[in-house]
Amino acid sequence: MNSLLISKRFIFTVVITSLSIYLVFLLNPEGALRILINLLTFAGIYGLSAIGLNVHFGWTGLLNFGHASFMGMGAYVTLLLMPHAAGREGEVTTTGLPIIIAVFVGIAAAALFGLLLGLPAIRLRGDYLAIVTIAAAEIFRLLVRDLESITGGVYGIISYTENLQKFRPEFINSLSLSYEFAPSQAWVGIIAWVSIILTLFLLKRLNSSPWGRALRAVREDEDAVRAMGKNAVWLKLQSFMLGAGIAGLSGVLLAFNYGSLETTVFVPLLTFYVWAIMILGGVGSLTGPIFGSIIFWVIISETDRLAYIFFENANGQQLAGFRFLLVGLLIMLLMIFRPSGLLGKKEELLLDVK
Amino acid sequence: MSSNLLEVKNLKKSFGGLQAVDIKELKFKKNQLTSIIGPNGAGKTTFFDLISGFQTADSGDIFLNGDDISNSHPYQIARMGMIRTFQLTKVFDRMTVLENLMFSGSSVTNDSFTKSIINTKKQRNYEIELKDKSYEIMEDLNISHMADSYARELSGGQKKLLELARSIINNPDTLLLDEPLAGVNPKLAEDLLGLIQKLASSGISILMVEHNIEAVMKISERIVVLSEGTLIADGSPNEIRNDQNVIEAYLGKDDG
Repeated sequence: MNSLLISKRFIFTVVITSLSIYLVFLLNPEGALRILINLLTFAGIYGLSAIGLNVHFGWTGLLNFGHASFMGMGAYVTLLLMPHAAGREGEVTTTGLPIIIAVFVGIAAAALFGLLLGLPAIRLRGDYLAIVTIAAAEIFRLLVRDLESITGGVYGIISYTENLQKFRPEFINSLSLSYEFAPSQAWVGIIAWVSIILTLFLLKRLNSSPWGRALRAVREDEDAVRAMGKNAVWLKLQSFMLGAGIAGLSGVLLAFNYGSLETTVFVPLLTFYVWAIMILGGVGSLTGPIFGSIIFWVIISETDRLAYIFFENANGQQLAGFRFLLVGLLIMLLMIFRPSGLLGKKEELLLDVK
Repeated sequence: MSSNLLEVKNLKKSFGGLQAVDIKELKFKKNQLTSIIGPNGAGKTTFFDLISGFQTADSGDIFLNGDDISNSHPYQIARMGMIRTFQLTKVFDRMTVLENLMFSGSSVTNDSFTKSIINTKKQRNYEIELKDKSYEIMEDLNISHMADSYARELSGGQKKLLELARSIINNPDTLLLDEPLAGVNPKLAEDLLGLIQKLASSGISILMVEHNIEAVMKISERIVVLSEGTLIADGSPNEIRNDQNVIEAYLGKDDG
C-alpha cells in the first residue's frame, strides 16, 4: 500500500517534469534544444547542490543557510589550482594540477570548510545554526572579494574552461553543428548529470546503511542519540562534510558553466534557490531534488516567454518580478497541496525544525 | 576499585539563585533497585541529568564504578554501561520502531561512515543479528506487531515501552529510569513494573525517579528522598514510610 503510494507519487512527478520540458518545446518553436540544454545543465548543477543540502537538512536536520559558501570554496580552490587568469590585469598562471586532481582537492577543501565551520557552530540547534551559517557564508564571500591578490577579487577568474573543454568528446561537437547548441555547455551538463548519478548511487548506499540511520536519529532527537552512547556532534560534523563536499563539486561545475567566475555568483540568493529546489523536490527524498531542479529551471528560463503571452510590453524588471512570483506561487501551492514536496514522504514531513 | 556502582560527593548545581541540587554524599550499590522520590522541583531530574552527563555540575565529583565521570559527555557515560531514559519520552519519531531499536543496538564501529560506504560482509551480518535481537526484545515487550510503524504513531505507553526496549538492547549494567510510569494506563503500568523488576533480578542496577509512591514502595529495595535539592531521607521502603522528615516535606504537602 505504502510503496504503491510512493510509486504513484513518482509517476506524478515524472509526468509533471516531462510536461514542463514539453512546455519548453511548446514555447520555443525555434532553438528549443539549445534552451533545453542550457536549462538542463543549470538544473543538473543546482540539483547536485540540493542533493548535498538534503544530506544536511533532510537526513540530519541541520538548518544550513550557508550552502553557497561550500559551492564557492569548491569552485575557487579548484580553479586556482589549475591554469587560469585572475585579477585586474588578468594575470596568467600557466602551471597547475590536472583537472581531475584539482577537482578532488576542491571537493576536499569544501568538506574541510564544512568541518571548520561546523566545529564551533554545530552544537547550535535549529535557527541558531542557520544564523551562523548565513553569516559565515557572507564572510567567505567578502573575504574572497577582498583577497584580490589570491582570488582575483571583483575582477574574478577567467581562462580556465580549457582545462575541462580539452577533454570534450568529438561527438558533442558534431551534434552541436547539426542541432545548434553550445558544445561547451553540453559537456558541462553531461558531467553534471553523471556526477548526479554517481552521487545518488553513493547516497543510496549510505541512506540505507547504519550510518544513514544514525544521521536520521540525530535529526529526530539528539539527546536520545547521546543517551544511546553515540557521539551526535561527530555524526553531525560528518554529515556537514559530506553535504559540503557535494556542494563543492556543484560549485566547480557552476564555474565551468559560467566560463568566468565572479564573487557575485555565491550570494545568499544562490543558497535560497537551492533551498527552493530541495523543498520543491521533497525534503529527505533522494531523487526529489533532481525533479525539483528541472521544474525550477523551466520556470526560471521560460517565464520570459510566458510573460510575453500575458503582458505584451513587459520590461526586464517586470519579468524578473513575474518570474519569482511564479516560483513563489508554485512553492505556496506545493506547501498547501503537497507539503512534503514532489517526492518527500508524508510520514517524514520535515519542515519543523528542532 | 570501589564496590559502589555510583558515588556522588559534594554535588552542587544551581540555576540562577535556585539551588537545584546540593548533595553531600550519596552512594548506590550494585544490583539494587533504588528509587529517588521527592516533591516536584526537588531536583530529581537535575540529579539524573548530572550523573548522565547531560548537565555539568557547578562543583563536586561523580564516580561510576570508581571512574570519575564528572566531566564526561553523555555518550561516554552511556558507553560505560549506564543508560538513561527521559521524563518526556524521547523516541525517534520519524523512524520505524525497528529502526529505533536497530540504531540503539548498533555499535559505534558498525555506524562508521567508511564501513557503510563499503558495506562489508561483516556489517551485513552484524545487521542481521541486530535485527534478530531487536525482534526478540520487541516480542518480549509485546510491540513486535508495530515493528514497521513510525514511532510517532505509537501511544504514549507504547513509546515508554519502546524507550525501555531501546535502553536494554545493549545489555546495560545500569539503568536510569526517569518516571517510567508517567502517563501510562494502570494495566500497562503494572506490566512495566513487572518488567522493571525482571530487569532488576536479571542483574541490572536500576535507579528510578517515580511519582507513583505505591509502585515505588512495592518494588524498591531502597528509597532516596530529595527535597529542594538536598537529601532528606535514605532507607528501605518501610523506614521511608515512617520517616518524619519525609512525611513533612513530601506527603505532608499533599494534605495542604
